[in-house]
Amino acid sequence: MSLRLPAFPFDNRRVVGALFLAPALLYILLIVGFPFLLAIAFGFSDVTVGNTDLNFVGFRNFEAVWDNAIFRQVFETTIRFTLISQVFILLFANILAIIFTQDFTGKWFARFIFILPWATPVSLAMIGWLWMLDTKYSPIDYLLLQTGFLGPGGILSKDRNLFWLASPDLAQISVIFVQVWRMTPLATVILMAGLSSIPTDILDQAEVDGSRFMRTLLLIKLPLILPIMVIALLFSMITMFGDMTVVYVLTRGGPVDYTRVLGLYSFQVGIEGGNLAQGAAISLFAFPLLLAMAIFMLRTASRAEVR
Amino acid sequence: MNRAIRLLIVLSILAALGVGVNAQGDYAEGTEISLLQWSHFVPRYDEWFDVYAAEWGEANGVGVTVDHVNFTEIFSTLAAEIDAGDGHTIVEVLFSPASYIDGLHDLRDINEAAAAAHGERTSTCHAASYLPINDTYYAYTHGYVPDPGDYDIALWTDAGYPEGPKTYDDLLEGGRAIYEATGIPVGIGMSPELDSRMANRAAIWSFGGSIQDEAENVVLNSEETVAAVKYLAQLQNEAMTDEVFGWTAASNNQALIAGEVSYILNSNSAYRSLQKIDEAAAANIGFTPALAGPAGAYASSHVWQIYVIPKYVEGDELAAAKQFILDHTENYSDVTYHSELYNFPCYPSTVAELDGWLEEDPWGSQPPNKFEVLKTVNDWSVHLGFPGVTNPAVSQVFAESIIPNMVAQVALGEQTAEDAVAAAHERIEEIFADWRARGMVGGGDM
Repeated sequence: MSLRLPAFPFDNRRVVGALFLAPALLYILLIVGFPFLLAIAFGFSDVTVGNTDLNFVGFRNFEAVWDNAIFRQVFETTIRFTLISQVFILLFANILAIIFTQDFTGKWFARFIFILPWATPVSLAMIGWLWMLDTKYSPIDYLLLQTGFLGPGGILSKDRNLFWLASPDLAQISVIFVQVWRMTPLATVILMAGLSSIPTDILDQAEVDGSRFMRTLLLIKLPLILPIMVIALLFSMITMFGDMTVVYVLTRGGPVDYTRVLGLYSFQVGIEGGNLAQGAAISLFAFPLLLAMAIFMLRTASRAEVR
Repeated sequence: MNRAIRLLIVLSILAALGVGVNAQGDYAEGTEISLLQWSHFVPRYDEWFDVYAAEWGEANGVGVTVDHVNFTEIFSTLAAEIDAGDGHTIVEVLFSPASYIDGLHDLRDINEAAAAAHGERTSTCHAASYLPINDTYYAYTHGYVPDPGDYDIALWTDAGYPEGPKTYDDLLEGGRAIYEATGIPVGIGMSPELDSRMANRAAIWSFGGSIQDEAENVVLNSEETVAAVKYLAQLQNEAMTDEVFGWTAASNNQALIAGEVSYILNSNSAYRSLQKIDEAAAANIGFTPALAGPAGAYASSHVWQIYVIPKYVEGDELAAAKQFILDHTENYSDVTYHSELYNFPCYPSTVAELDGWLEEDPWGSQPPNKFEVLKTVNDWSVHLGFPGVTNPAVSQVFAESIIPNMVAQVALGEQTAEDAVAAAHERIEEIFADWRARGMVGGGDM
């Protein structure tokens, strides 16, 4: 005779699933969904920082933003910075993930040091970089000056400074470098998790079959962690695309508009300039691109997983 | 007119206007006001102000809280508080908050009360708090900050200009000679930040150009503006380093204190910092009024001290806030003194000692009359919207750093002055058209 227990709501997998999902959904709705919907409402209205009454103006703000030559340059800069950074982030993250999954003395300390750029509050880290890259008192310039690379007869420049954040080329390189420095640890940690999850029997079999390091890496490990790599890339790209802190602290978009990115321009127009409607419209231009990118990358990850 | 009589007049006018305030502090028990101010560039002022505000609160039976934040955070905080409908009672901003007008109380009553008590105020203060198209006083400007030239006396004396440069031609000739002889450059920013925005506008005005005309029509694209931009590019190429493309709000101060610049445009805060570090070096710094160009000598005020009261403030809190603001103006001698002559009064009559202090600096400058040149400040100091009004479009043009970016592009050799000015004009037209559609900017009939 089997014992029949009374019906209990938690026996229903749908109920339990919904309950487990609820906190995450609530978080997304409140922290992401509501501001996103508000931005859409603002983008189609004529709100200012002083008056958030929603008067519908159709696509006027989006048309005005698209006609703005500065915006088009800012949009292009944002995409360029994001793509270039991702190449370096992926490269460094893969190398570091492989190193940190090996056994060596001081591994835990090395991991701890390495994670710091990501764990440090971004604004504090950027103030540190602001000092490092100061146009006049940069310690990097000081070292180059002392070693003869700068100053009269210097190989890099006859000046005493390289003007890291004042030269168009160096300012762009600096911003990309700092973004790579900041985002690489996150991508590395995600890839390390991926590498650790590869079943050891597969790797053992490869070793028995005589596969060497590069062969194992390229033909076994990387294909297996591809879905995770795509997720790491997606995280990194979305974070960078919407970030304004790095350039706000380092360059405020200068010199000229060379480092002005979408988030910063949206803030300058919407909050500092008071034109909240156009500021919202500027930020929304990123949405279709990010959405398409996310769908493409998640489908890629999903296909790779199925294989 | 002594202070007691002026106070009586203010109170009478306020009573007549129904502002509903009372010097004895007849506010409901528990009335509190809170102030959000930018951390003053002269720290002594904040020390004095916090004590003053607390004593005012005790005398009037009002709880007073003062919060100081970095100046870069003021506008974003004000925007958030207006949107939330809750926050500080009084917020002090540095530039005209014209685009916030719908979220702010009309302060016509206290502006008129102060004018009646203290007489005419300087035009730059009026322009930073009044929007003619709406006939609204969206703010109360109590002070402004002169933006003279600071020059290295020894260097400029060697170059043949013992009293510093007086014209833009002097600045180019003398600055270039000093740079070639010593490697010490002129320091006028050309980057997206506050000091660059001011300095570049000063040159454009002095060459006869401007962003808008008196009727709020965009007129940037002119021969005069092109000439000013060409001049600034030449100045950068011949007398400055590339550092100016990465100039920050602290660069003036750093360069002056380090003795690595021959001339800057700045308030007196950079000099005051140097004075506390090295008195001899400070004695070698002189001040000049706005440099003269082909069309005159103009410089923007460095910043303004502008009080606003968001609309969410009501009742006794609002009445107490208005009284606080008027009493603060009443005590402007203390304000100017404790700011080490940084804050200049919008109502000159409130600081009768000012000319005497400029002739003999109470904070120990050598020579004592170092600031005497600032006696003429009201002849050459203008506001951001000059020669029109400071409207929301002017504020957005300022926030987007369109002017310094335009200048930098030419100095970097990326665009001709004609093309850069035309492109900037086009963007500014777009901004003006947008605000005009909201009914907050006039003109547009050209």
